[in-house]
Amino acid sequence: MLYIYSKVCKLSAKQEFIDAAKLGKVLARKCKKCGELHLATVYFCQNCGHREFENAPFEGQGSIVTYTIITVPPAGFEKYTPYAWVVLKLNNSDLRISGFMAGIAKPSDLPIGTKAKIVGFDDRGILIEKQ
Amino acid sequence: MEKVCVIGAGSTKYGKLADSISDITVQASVDAIDSAGIDPKEIKAGYISNVFGVADKQVHLGPVVMNNLGIPERPSLSIESACGSGSVSFREAFANVAAGFYDAVLVTGVEKVTHTGTEWTTTYFSYCSDFFYEGQAGASFPGLFASMARAYLSEFKATEEDLAMVAVKNHDNGLLNPKAHLRKKITIDDVMSSAVVASPLKLYDCCPFSDGASSVILCSEKFAKDHTKDYIKVIGSGRGGSPAALQGREHLTTIPSTKIAAEAAYKMAGIKPKDIDFAEVHDCFTIAEIVDSEDLGFFEKGKGVEGVRENYTSRKGDIPINPSGGLKSKGHPIGATGVGQVVEVFDQLTGKAGERTINDAKIGLTHNFGATGASCAVHIFQSV
Repeated sequence: MLYIYSKVCKLSAKQEFIDAAKLGKVLARKCKKCGELHLATVYFCQNCGHREFENAPFEGQGSIVTYTIITVPPAGFEKYTPYAWVVLKLNNSDLRISGFMAGIAKPSDLPIGTKAKIVGFDDRGILIEKQ
Repeated sequence: MEKVCVIGAGSTKYGKLADSISDITVQASVDAIDSAGIDPKEIKAGYISNVFGVADKQVHLGPVVMNNLGIPERPSLSIESACGSGSVSFREAFANVAAGFYDAVLVTGVEKVTHTGTEWTTTYFSYCSDFFYEGQAGASFPGLFASMARAYLSEFKATEEDLAMVAVKNHDNGLLNPKAHLRKKITIDDVMSSAVVASPLKLYDCCPFSDGASSVILCSEKFAKDHTKDYIKVIGSGRGGSPAALQGREHLTTIPSTKIAAEAAYKMAGIKPKDIDFAEVHDCFTIAEIVDSEDLGFFEKGKGVEGVRENYTSRKGDIPINPSGGLKSKGHPIGATGVGQVVEVFDQLTGKAGERTINDAKIGLTHNFGATGASCAVHIFQSV
């Protein structure tokens, strides 16, 4: 069963997703049956349940829909504090993606609607900067 | 389907506790057994919810609890669903009694984390998020709810002061609850001037990390009638899910799993939101209570802040919310919280809530979720 499944799609698409983020892109998957878009880490279509997808790379550019500025960080983030964790809505799609944004100290630094883009991926996950 | 009742309830105090995780789990369980007036041997199974047992060197709590109650031969299920563990555990117990597998079961939730410190808890709690997108990128739980708060404040006519009013109200209620963690009257100014944790949320917008255990005895209606007159009926039970990461949700000012769970619970009970006399809802952060009160159908979207502004959600209002003090003041021992809400409803509907009693209440609702509402359970109870 595992053999049959693995012919349909690879067991993990995360590395491809990370590689795309490092190039400033979001690797989405488009359902071959209904066209629904998902982030690459989904294995079955959330709309129709189909499990065949084609790659749909997007430029990691969009606008900030919401965010927070963290002043009490989890372990490992002390040296970046304060920083923002943001949700970005991609241009030309309804996809939203969240990530880490350095150097944000106060809300006036980042009004909702600010243009921003994915600039990389490291041990802080997806890295986003203002455009 | 068998009708299901709650015949006993007990809790430790919530706060910083000295005893071990297994000891406080057993203490709450014994309280519930004594409250029910049953013999432990009448309990056919245990449902034990907990998230960070690893912090006090005891996971797989179920068998330890059953053993200490003198019933090591009874089966147990140890359950983790982040901050919703208690209600998810309650639901599994409900389903098994309703199906007729057992006529009486124990549901106990527990958490013991305060000895670990803020950095440990902030970090480990972040593992309850969709870590690849959220915790890994530095999002703490206050941060995730702060992101929902910012979306709400920008979309609707609401202010940070409105959120602060939720904290003030719940602290007022918690003052009357002898088992509450934070028994302290606070003002809007206290909230507004407290340290920012994750903008726009400040320290007093956040529930505390708490130790504590809560327990209830669930049973068939026949078992209840054979044992006591002091019981309440479970008339609705619903569960739902949401995309695990906030980015996967179309709107950041609503929690889909709450709506799904509530709809199922209302349907099973055959009632509407207006029929609820009071509710214990998941106010891990002030914004959460506002969003919950809308998703549960008590207020229209964007109008939840009127609940606190107009005192509709205070103890003497139209729809009292969190008379126990809620997670905000009573405290949030995450594995226990969902069970603790049922304890409050049991106390309210059986005349044991003392000074915080909601007058003439007959129907109470509990709402508890895991993480940012990725998993949720809603239950509805009626007095007999």
